[in-house]
Amino acid sequence: MRNYEIMFIVNPMTPEEEIDKINGQLESIITSGGGKIDKLEKMGKRRLAYEVDKQREGYYVLFAIGANGDIIKECERRLRVIDAVIKYITVRVDEEVRRSEKIRAFRQKRAARRGGKPGAAQTQHSEEAMQ
Amino acid sequence: MKSVKEKRPAGQKQYYRRKKVCKFCVERIDSINYKDVKLLSQFVPERAKIMPRRISGVCSQHQRLLNDAIKKARNIALLPFSTE
Repeated sequence: MRNYEIMFIVNPMTPEEEIDKINGQLESIITSGGGKIDKLEKMGKRRLAYEVDKQREGYYVLFAIGANGDIIKECERRLRVIDAVIKYITVRVDEEVRRSEKIRAFRQKRAARRGGKPGAAQTQHSEEAMQ
Repeated sequence: MKSVKEKRPAGQKQYYRRKKVCKFCVERIDSINYKDVKLLSQFVPERAKIMPRRISGVCSQHQRLLNDAIKKARNIALLPFSTE
């Protein structure tokens, strides 16, 4: 099981119910395939950086899921089929998260080590000053 | 007099240039997310090209992450590929 983020853009003309229906379809694909949904965020209408399908605006939806390759494949196929979806992207996030956690742990360790040393150095200095 | 001139060739002015530091190292940002348009757009000047390291001062590790993030953001129309 890996963590992915699926982000897709829906044509801004589509009604809210239609978008909910698409979300429902994806949810059922993911849960029936044994995946889990960590987050479902409707980011709302945004201006696109460039024209897509003659649209300047788009409705962004973000799924954060835990799934395997087959589920992703099926989700992407479904997104390609739905006409209202004008663009989608799937990003694997678990490696990124693991990497940043590692860095954070390393930093904490170093901070702890450093936190001990300067204190010792300072006391030494003050002792010298006393002499 | 001449020796001084040789030591300081023409065009090399004696002014203090501030050392550039990596924004991500200083602010302790370890993961650069493609959805963070506000952050990424700081490194995408008007022509929508990715700002080179020699100008922004970003370190190589973070530049690599930044590159990936900007390219992902471009794919989902959060950032432009180019401007007219």
